[in-house]
Parts: sequence; C-alpha cells; structure tokens
Amino acid sequence: MKREIAFGVAAMPRKPAVALLLWSVPEALPASLSGLAVAHAVDSGFLADRPAVGLGWLALLLVAAGLGAIGSRQVYRLLGGLVEPFRDLLVRKVVGGALGHAVRGKADDGAIARLTHQVEIVRDTYAGLIVVLRGFLVTVIGVVIGMLSVDPVIVALLLPPFLLGLGAFLATLGMAADRFRRSVRADEQLAVTAGAVLAGTRDIAATGAEEHAAAMTKGPIEAQADAERAIATVAAVRSLCLALGGWVPLVVLLVAGPWLVSRGLTAGAVMGGLTYVLIGLQPVLRNLMTAVGGSGLRYAVTLGRILDAAELPSEPEPRAHAGQGDELAVRGLTFAYGPHAEPVLRDLDLVVPPGDHLAIVGPSGIGKSTLAGLLCGLLRPGEGAVLLGGVPVADLPADQLARGRTLIPQEAYVFAGGVWDNLTYLAPDADPERVAHAITAVGADALVARIGGVGATLVPAELSAGERQQVALVRAYLSPAPVVVLDEATCHLDPVAERRAEEAFAERGGTLIVIAHRVSSALRARRVLVLDGTGAAVGDHRTLQETSPLYRDLLGHWNPDRRLEEV
Amino acid sequence: MITFGDVVRRGGGWLPLIGLAGLVGSLGTLALPTVLGHAVDALVAGHGSGSWIVAAGVLIVISVVFDVVDAYAGTACVAGTTAWLRDRVVRHVFAVGPARSSRFETGDLVTRVSGNAVEAAQAGPAVVTTVAAALPPVGSLVLLAWIDPWLALALLAGLALVAGVLRTFALRSAEAMVAYQQTQGTIAARLAESLAGARTIAAAGTVEAEQQRVLTELPRLHEHGIGTWRIMARSSAQATLVGPLVLVAVLATGGIELLRNRITPGELFAASQYAVIGGGLGALTGVFSRLARAKAGVRRVSEVLDTTPVSYGTASLPDGPGALELRSVTVRAADAVLLDDVSLQVPGGCAVAVVGASGAGKSVLAEVAARLRSPDEGEVLLDGVALAELDHAALRAAVGCAFERPVLVGASIGDAVDVGRSVDVRAAARATHAHEFVSRLPEGYATPLAEAPMSGGEYQRLGLARAWPAQRLLVLDDATSSVDMVTEMQIARTLTDDHGGRTRLIVTHRAATAARADLVVWLAEGKVVATGTHDRLWERPEYREVFG
Repeated sequence: MKREIAFGVAAMPRKPAVALLLWSVPEALPASLSGLAVAHAVDSGFLADRPAVGLGWLALLLVAAGLGAIGSRQVYRLLGGLVEPFRDLLVRKVVGGALGHAVRGKADDGAIARLTHQVEIVRDTYAGLIVVLRGFLVTVIGVVIGMLSVDPVIVALLLPPFLLGLGAFLATLGMAADRFRRSVRADEQLAVTAGAVLAGTRDIAATGAEEHAAAMTKGPIEAQADAERAIATVAAVRSLCLALGGWVPLVVLLVAGPWLVSRGLTAGAVMGGLTYVLIGLQPVLRNLMTAVGGSGLRYAVTLGRILDAAELPSEPEPRAHAGQGDELAVRGLTFAYGPHAEPVLRDLDLVVPPGDHLAIVGPSGIGKSTLAGLLCGLLRPGEGAVLLGGVPVADLPADQLARGRTLIPQEAYVFAGGVWDNLTYLAPDADPERVAHAITAVGADALVARIGGVGATLVPAELSAGERQQVALVRAYLSPAPVVVLDEATCHLDPVAERRAEEAFAERGGTLIVIAHRVSSALRARRVLVLDGTGAAVGDHRTLQETSPLYRDLLGHWNPDRRLEEV
Repeated sequence: MITFGDVVRRGGGWLPLIGLAGLVGSLGTLALPTVLGHAVDALVAGHGSGSWIVAAGVLIVISVVFDVVDAYAGTACVAGTTAWLRDRVVRHVFAVGPARSSRFETGDLVTRVSGNAVEAAQAGPAVVTTVAAALPPVGSLVLLAWIDPWLALALLAGLALVAGVLRTFALRSAEAMVAYQQTQGTIAARLAESLAGARTIAAAGTVEAEQQRVLTELPRLHEHGIGTWRIMARSSAQATLVGPLVLVAVLATGGIELLRNRITPGELFAASQYAVIGGGLGALTGVFSRLARAKAGVRRVSEVLDTTPVSYGTASLPDGPGALELRSVTVRAADAVLLDDVSLQVPGGCAVAVVGASGAGKSVLAEVAARLRSPDEGEVLLDGVALAELDHAALRAAVGCAFERPVLVGASIGDAVDVGRSVDVRAAARATHAHEFVSRLPEGYATPLAEAPMSGGEYQRLGLARAWPAQRLLVLDDATSSVDMVTEMQIARTLTDDHGGRTRLIVTHRAATAARADLVVWLAEGKVVATGTHDRLWERPEYREVFG
C-alpha cells in the first residue's frame, strides 16, 4: 500500500495541489462557523430578544455558504488539473507495459480491461480521496478554530475521543486492505473459473463431467463468500471506530454539561458544541472512513495491479554491432519452453548462405514457428547460437536487427490508419514508385484498388485474413532487410496467390526462408529443412525424397491421390 | 424456478436481525435530537438534566450497537445468499445441457453468476431495510411540520432545488462522459490492434513507434476529462449552497419562534437537526433503486433457472458391440428443419463417415448421436436401448464425443483430459498423439491450461484424448480438421487398430478420411442423400463436389 500512496503523492504537481488546498478553506467555512453562529444567534440574538442580531449571525452562515460554494467550484476545477495528468500517466504505464510484455512473447489478455476499466477506477478513487482528505483536514482545523472561539474547554473535551477514534480506524486499515485484496482476488478467480467452465458446457456434457465442473466452481464461490464475510467483520470494527470518534465526544460534552454550565457556559455555547460534533466532526469522520475504507482500498489494490503489470523484466540492452554479410548460421541450437520440458529443437546446425531460398517443413506443433522466432532473434536459444553475418542475433539491438532481417508471422498485423502507413511500416522512406512496384510484385493490386488506393484509410475489420496477409507481404517486400522469413505468412491466400507472392520474394533478391504451409512452397524452394521432432534433415527436394521417410509422408499426404492438391 | 420471495427467504435468520437493527437505529436517530434538545433546556435551567443525559447516552449506545450489528449482518447475509445462488445457477446450466443453454452467451452467463447473483442476493436485506431507511427522513419531515409547518416547507423547497441540480448535472455529465469514453475506446482499439500484431512489432523493433501511435488520442482524452471536472465544479458549487440554505431557513424560522417563546432553545436545536436528517430524503431514491436492482438481479438469475433441465432415464446398457440406430429422427430449430426424418443403422465396431456441404446437418447428427441434443421426433438407440432411457453415468461411459473446436476445462492439461473420471490420461494422449507435444510443455501434464500455448491441431488432439476412454461409441465431429495430415493419418491408424472395436461416427470434410471409413453417410439439407462406401459414391459427380 505504501508504494501506491507514494506513487499518488509523487505524481501530484505541487502548485495546483497547494492552490486546491487554499481554495478548500472557504469550502470548510460553513461547517467551521456553524456552531459559532448558532451559539451567538441564540445567546445574543433570539434569547436576548434581539432578533436582528440572531438573524444577522444566521446571515453570516449564509455568506459563509456562498463563499463555500465558490471554493467548492474552484476545488473541482483544480481537481481536473491533478487527476487528468495522473490518468495520462496511468494510460502510458498500461500501454507501455502491455506492449512491452507482448513483444517479449507474453500474451496480456487483461491489458484492454486495465486500460478502460482499472485506470478509470484509479482515476475516480484518486479524485475522491483528494476531495475527502483535504476536506477532512480543512474542516477539522476549521471546526477546532470555531470551537476555540466558542470556548477552549470544548476543544479539550471533544478532540481527544475524536482523535482516538480516528487513530483506531487508521490502525485497522492494514487488516482491511488485506481482506479487501483477498476479496478482489476471489472475485476475479470466480469470474475466470466460471468463464472457463461455462464456456465448456457442451464438452462437459459430452464427458458427463457435470459434477466435476460444478465442484470446480464451488471452491471459488465459497472462497468469495468467505472473503466477503471477512470484510463484514471489518465493517463492524469500522462502526465501532466511528462510535468512538463521532459519538463519544457528544456523550462527553453532555456528561460534562452541568459542570460546564456551573462554570458559566451559556445555552448557546452548549448548543454550538453539540452542533460542531453533529454537523462537523461526525460527518467528516464518517466521510473519511467511507472514502479511505472504500475508495482508498480500491485505489491501492487497483493501482497496485496496474503498476505490477506495467513492470517489465530488466534485460541488458543488446549492444552488438551488425556483422559482415548476410549469412545466417545456426550452431548447435537447442531450445525448450521450460526447464522440465522436452526440447523443441535439439542441437541443430544449419547454414543459409546469402541468396538462398529455404523451405522449412514438418508436422504441426513440431517447432517450425519456434525456429522462425529463434532465427529472427525473438527467442533466446537455450544452447548454441544463431548468427547473422557472424554476430549472434540475440545480441543485436532491435533496430539493427530490423535492418538485417524481416519476419512476417502467420497473424498479419494491420492497423487502423493510412494504407500507405501500413505498407511502408518497415520502410518509411519508400517512394511511391517502389511501393507501386511492390504492390504489383506480390499481387496485391486488386486489394489496394478495392480499399481505395494507397492514399485511403485502412479499416482492419474490413479485411479478410488473406487480405491482411497481402498487406503484410507488400510491407516485407519493401523492407530494406536482405533476409526475409515468411512464417506461414501466406496460409490464408489461395494457392495461385501464394505462388505469386513467393515468386516475387524469390526474385526480390536476398535470402528467403519460408515456413511451409503447403508442399508447393517446398517444391519451389532451392533447399528444404525437414523437422521431425528429434532431428532435422536438410537437402534439396530430390535428395530428401530419397533420404527422408517423413518428407515422403508429408508429400504423400499433401497430395492425396484422389484429389490433386493445388501445386 | 426461483422467485423474489425465494431469495428473500434464503436470508433466513439474518433478516429479522437486520430489520430490527435498522428499525431501532432509525428510531434512535429520530429520538436523539428531541432528547438532546430537552437535555440542553434542562442544562440551561440548571436542574433535571441528569435523566435526559442518561437517556441520550442510552439512545447513542443502542444505535451504535445496532449499527455494528447491521454492518456485519447485512454483508454476511448477502455473502451466504450469493454463494447459494451462484452454485445453483452453475449446476442448473449443466443440468439444462448444451442445446438449451446455448441461447445464453458464455460471457452473459458469467455476468449472471458473478454480477447479477450478488444483486439478487440483496433482495432480503433490501426488503427489510426499506422501511427502516425511509423512517428517519420521513419522520424528520413530520416532526419538523409538527414543530412548525413552515419549517417543513422550507426543507421541501431546498430538496427540490437539490433534485434539480442533480438532474442537470446528470444530463450534462452524460454528454461529457460519452465523448470521454469514445476517445478511450479509440485508444483501447489501437492497443488491441498492436497487441494482436505483437510478433510483427517485436521483429520490426517498432515498439516505441507503436506506443506513440496508440497514445495519439491521449491529449484529447485529457481535454474531455478536464471537461467533466468543469461540469462537476458548477454542480458541486450549487449543491454546496443548498444544504446550508435549508439549514439557515429552518434556523431563522425557528429563531423567530424562539423569540416569541413558542419554542425552547432545545426545540430550536432539535429542529436544526431534523433539517439535517430530513435532507436525507434525497437519498431515499437510493433505497428504492437497491430494491429495484435486487428485483432485476433475481429476474436475470431466474431466466437461467427457469430453463427446463435434460432428463435422464434409469436403464443401463446390455452387453453389445455398440450398434447405433437412428429411427426417423427429426430435429427442428426455430425456423428450420435441421434433420428431416433421418434413419440409419450402424453395425457395432464400424467406422462411419458423415459427409455433406456446410449446413447439411452433419454436426446436428453428431450431437443427436451423442445425446447432446434430443430429437424432436424419433429416437436414437445404442445396442437397442434408447439414449433417452439410459442413466447419466451409463450414457457418458459408453459414448464419447470430440469436436472441431474443443473447449478444455480443467486446472491443468492432465486435468482437462481426465475431467474427474480417473482415466488413464497418458494412454489416451498417446493414442491420439497428444503425448509428444504435451511432454514438450514446461511442466508436461501438470502445465496449467492458461500457460500452455497450443495450436488448433494440438487442442483437437487433447479433445480427442478426452473422448478416447468411451466404451462403445466415439463421435468425432470434424475433430481432426486442424491436425496436419501426417498426424491425422497416425491417429486414423490408431482408430482402425482400435482393438476395443468401438463404433465410430466421424464427421469430416476430407475425402481421405471418408475413404478409410467402412461406410459413408452423405447428408444434404438435413436428409440422407445416400449411404455406401466412398469408392461407390465417388462415381457420382455431386458427391465429389462435396469435397470441393
């Protein structure tokens, strides 16, 4: 909780914060003057048979209310200046964290909810806390000054129990925060489990696992109820704190009443004291407890999650310099997804000379995309190395790497924006002629014409999966990188379009590596790498047909005899 | 079935306690100003104050005690009722079965379980606290009117002013909020795009440019945000003014009455307090909206609970080879006939391929055969026993079903295949060639589902492994469509060599799969066009067209 409080305080710009505090003073005037005005209106006004004086004191209260309204208006205006920059900061954190995790290969499903939902919770609670906390501070000070001007003895009687109640409440905050956090976690756990289980209704029915599935949700349901009951105890304790800080002062004043009156305290002064408790101290204490115990905990827990999620693992900045030439070499490469997992790739050696055209084939799930990630430096090898121009790709900074190789994954990336911006994503300086040539080369003419030319705005939702891949292909074609890796980047294209695209890349010059979706990609390649899970074989089509049974199998099933598949 | 009354009654012993706490607390709140007023008068008079002070003390102690009880009991009561409702809804969804529960989206069901159940559970406390909550403000108004009718009128006028302010605020802030949320939506949409293209962005090293792109609209969001605070500023200024205005109006009127000796100083003090409590009249709408929300929550929950569950019989299966028979099965949807008078006999141990164009009724046939859907007419028999007469355990032990897009449910991969049946998970995974990739996962079979990145083909193989332990009939609804050809062939081989001799009903789009089956059922528009071997049917051009 300390981190979240510190974060909120540090983010607050000093000047507007001070201005906000100053404008809070008039806002606290009505409460501060209420007891004093009542005391004087009664004593020297209505009881002294001088109605004008009584009404005068009440008019003063009204003037105070007017000033309070002006103060309140300024406070909320200034509040925007504190809260909105804070929200901007949070949005930046969420976006930066989500993108940072995503490019490190960690899917982040909660990022959107964090952006739209959690940031708003923190924004609202942050504002609420500022309003209540400074309101509390200013009102308590104002009330104390007011009580002092009625009679100092009232302060001596009322303040100690009030502060005691406040202290007791603050002391229970840690426990309250723990329980609240537990409840939030239980809530989420329940929603996740219920979502997973209810999405599988059909599958659960098919396996007769209804009881098992109900038992799976029963746990989180009970855990959530327990967490709520734990919070109920906190609420009860909080009521006691309010009783101590809000009601005990009143009782003290009453009990001391006869002695106070005998000391010469007037009826108006007693009424003023009671008014200060009932209109001043009790409501601000209740507000503070509700705000800190509710919004405050929500603020701390939600902000905590945003900050946790935004934290990126610190990695040493890669500092190597690009090497000589475009040769891609794999040396003794081994990679597994976890310490207990079977390696996906084991001791792989491979050299791809500049200008080569290599197809990588193998059954699904065998590690072809993993190899693509390793070749492009997106994954760090467990053992061995991938060298581009003699330098390990994992050591090259992102921009150097991008100039050396381009990866187009299966899930093509297009974004809402100009068609031009989408196409020149990897080559921002490309001239129109080159772009037009690239569009024609990979066969995207019809698509670009349909969506309104390169000057139009691209709406991702209006593009089919194949069309998205065409956009990505033009982009890769324009990239300055001599090495291009297509990771099933044409799987949504029809065979004719796929052929055209691959041939365009073969003619583009440089090295082409294709993770093959269809056997035709392998037939077009100069060399083929077959992955079979335990080893790898590399060679041209003819050699592999003779030496690799798996390759023969793959060929056979890509070409079932009855239905000549699209070659 | 569940009604509002059922949910209220579920609150049980808590409710009288909550009601009593609320009522006593309210009466205490109402009595306190009068008692305090008398205490003040007695103090000024210099005698008889003791008993009033004791009375005030007792009132305060009572209201504190009941406040504490109320704070605990309300939450505890809602927590218990919520858990009860949630468990009922989840169990009922399973009892209703996939065919009838499919009219609820999963996200919608989750909302009903996680959100609406809590609202519904408020029913009991909401009912018993309505009266108690209404008592202090209404009572204050009455007491104020009793002291002086003009005081009550001043209060009402002030409240009308508050309502007006709140109303204009709601209208203006709604407009500002819409603009704010639209901008926020734009930022979220851009972030979603970038996250989907993470691999491209990682490879291109453009993460900083992407961050810029996503945040382009942030300054506009800032502007809209400032706008909402401006509206808030105006309204809050008006609202701050209204409260003291009411108080002063009451005090001034009361002061004049004090001057005329028609009321005592104590009564004036009481009047000022009643004015403050009476200000709570505006909050009464909150009490009623809690009741309305509870009602709406109960309605949402009961929509699920009112759906009729699937009924199972009590019969068990006689010994048999797993012969499947469909007798004049017709299945209708709202406005279409999905299966039209389909009759079919599959000898035990056979592999039957079901083929046909999209929408021909293949999946419906598979669902009917696995009793995931009940036919509107006709019946389905396994070894001579109608599926509808089988008891639940016997049915599911005999029939297994795998899908094109299986949904895996469980804490880990192993759990998702086993689903509480204590079957040999590894044997099933080996048979369906899932074992190879599962053993490459970070923690093998213990890998949590959420942490296992899997392709469509890998999901399918696990779905198949889950269905594998079925004793007599395996229904495979396009269950290997995303598996590559080599693996599919290996799985097909396991299926063919299946010494258990189970009957297999295989919905497929692939000619090679149909070719390996003993028999092909060719569907079009819910009717059987022909049955026969693949080779015989292949001679018909319309049949060849089915495979594109």
